[in-house]
Amino acid sequence: MGEFSRPASSKQINSLRLLAVLFFAISCVFAFIATVVEDVFFLRLATEAMIFGGLALSVDLLLGITGLLPLGQALFFGFGAYAAALILKNWTVSIWLVLLACMLSSALVGLVAGLIAIRSKGVYFALISFGLAQVVSKIVFNTVELGASDGIIGVPNAQILPGLSSGQPTVFFLFALMFIALVYSLLNYLMKTPYGRQLIAIKANEHRVAFLGFNTWRFKLSAFVLAASIAGTSGALYPMLRGFVSPELMFFQVSGNAIINVIVGGTGTLIGPLYGSALLTGLRSVVGSFTPHHQLVIGVLFMIVVILFPRGIIGYLAPMLDRRCQKGQGTVQQEARGG
Amino acid sequence: MDKAILKVEELSVRFGALTAVKRVGFEAQRGHITSVIGPNGAGKSSLFNLISGAIRPMEGRVLFDGRDTTGFNAVQMVSAGLSRSFQITNLFFELSVHENLRLAAQFIEHGRGLFLPTQRSRLANNRVDELLERFALRSRADELAGYLSHGEQRRLEIATALACNPKMLLLDEPTQGMSLTDTQETEALIKELASDDLSILLVEHDVELVMNISDHVVVMHQGEKLAEGTPLEVRANPQVQAAYFGEVRGHAHA
Repeated sequence: MGEFSRPASSKQINSLRLLAVLFFAISCVFAFIATVVEDVFFLRLATEAMIFGGLALSVDLLLGITGLLPLGQALFFGFGAYAAALILKNWTVSIWLVLLACMLSSALVGLVAGLIAIRSKGVYFALISFGLAQVVSKIVFNTVELGASDGIIGVPNAQILPGLSSGQPTVFFLFALMFIALVYSLLNYLMKTPYGRQLIAIKANEHRVAFLGFNTWRFKLSAFVLAASIAGTSGALYPMLRGFVSPELMFFQVSGNAIINVIVGGTGTLIGPLYGSALLTGLRSVVGSFTPHHQLVIGVLFMIVVILFPRGIIGYLAPMLDRRCQKGQGTVQQEARGG
Repeated sequence: MDKAILKVEELSVRFGALTAVKRVGFEAQRGHITSVIGPNGAGKSSLFNLISGAIRPMEGRVLFDGRDTTGFNAVQMVSAGLSRSFQITNLFFELSVHENLRLAAQFIEHGRGLFLPTQRSRLANNRVDELLERFALRSRADELAGYLSHGEQRRLEIATALACNPKMLLLDEPTQGMSLTDTQETEALIKELASDDLSILLVEHDVELVMNISDHVVVMHQGEKLAEGTPLEVRANPQVQAAYFGEVRGHAHA
């Protein structure tokens, strides 16, 4: 029940656009204030939220748009992180080359994984994606060349432009923000094209899509590859922020958190997962500084949201905002359909 | 050009011990309305599924528009020019009426404009406009398909199948659950749709409707073809009377 399901009445899309603008505006204001007061901790935490926001966007593309539940999306996130760490250490510190390499290689990994996973439907797809991530994370965990359980440490900073590097908290936060804005815009654009609409249709009624003459397998595989590439490229930013990677990045905890971010934020809204990611990354850190049992708090919060707001925070706010707007203006905005 | 658009030869399928369709063969002529009738469980729907690529036949052949399409899947059949509607309404209930039709009409763009905004797919959008008009759904275009009345949903079901501009349309009990007025309107609509460019294969429970609009009728009974011919011929056939109309008149044989 993604919010993009209602294209003809564009009211909800408009409120989503508003919430998206708000998200990026708040992020910029935050960057400014944090830089002025020289708060490195929160800048880096916010950067982490952006990075996991990228992972959440990739999950939403599959779960909220296409209707596939990926229980192992951390596989691609971790792959991107490891690939970036190795490239930064051994070959180049140019962030552009690293991201390009990670974008392409994780798409390739996504293609291989997709060829295996997309054959199955429903819960079987979920389990296969979970299994793939488990297998790869265990292999990484036991490979000495990849640092085994310790992972790879001492990853150098990536260079964005001469004089600008991922070691500068404000610079890197803004870079991550730009990256996320780009991914968000791309996905948001795709939802307005026949391609994106077919994905939504597959989620709504896959059986009928085949009888409309469209090969659903191809659409699902391409969405899976795109999601893998987004997750991998987001993951590539991780070692630039933290200076290390570890096999935990591929563990179920990371995949599970991404799904929770998506559901709390609002499945199928694209902007919701970014709000969810920011909110929960912040909460995990803040609660974590008081108690080691922060997962308990997150778990309870997750249950409350699922029970009270089954469509997530943004899924709840967007329609409310629409009603407000309509009352305020006394008009119903309608998107021009069909040109 | 071959006069027959669809030829079915010795088609069979079994589900476990049940032979749902047993060596059925018939031809559907271009531009005609061909109907398949028969009591419940006669194998009409299975026959439909075999022709439309929903299930694969175990024996026999399907020839469509001069090609052997035996074993084609649903996607391939639509590409070949055969589209179908469903007995149980099978729409995108969470999407608007307009979007249901646009998704289906996108097929006629043949992959063009897949990554451009939907408004740029002019052929598809024009097709949607045509269908909204023809099926009297214009005023409901922005409504979610799930909120339509039953009759409207059945109309949208046909319109959706028609959106890809097929050469042949398979209608699976299009008037299922419709009111009398809706049924009459649909009957007129189907009759109007059949043309040189569009042949129709109809499965229908409503025998009167079938007899009124069909050019050719195939009668099925227990998975086999019992008879075929014009509506008059079929009506006069004693076997058909016994097996089919007989039920209605109360002297069915076993």
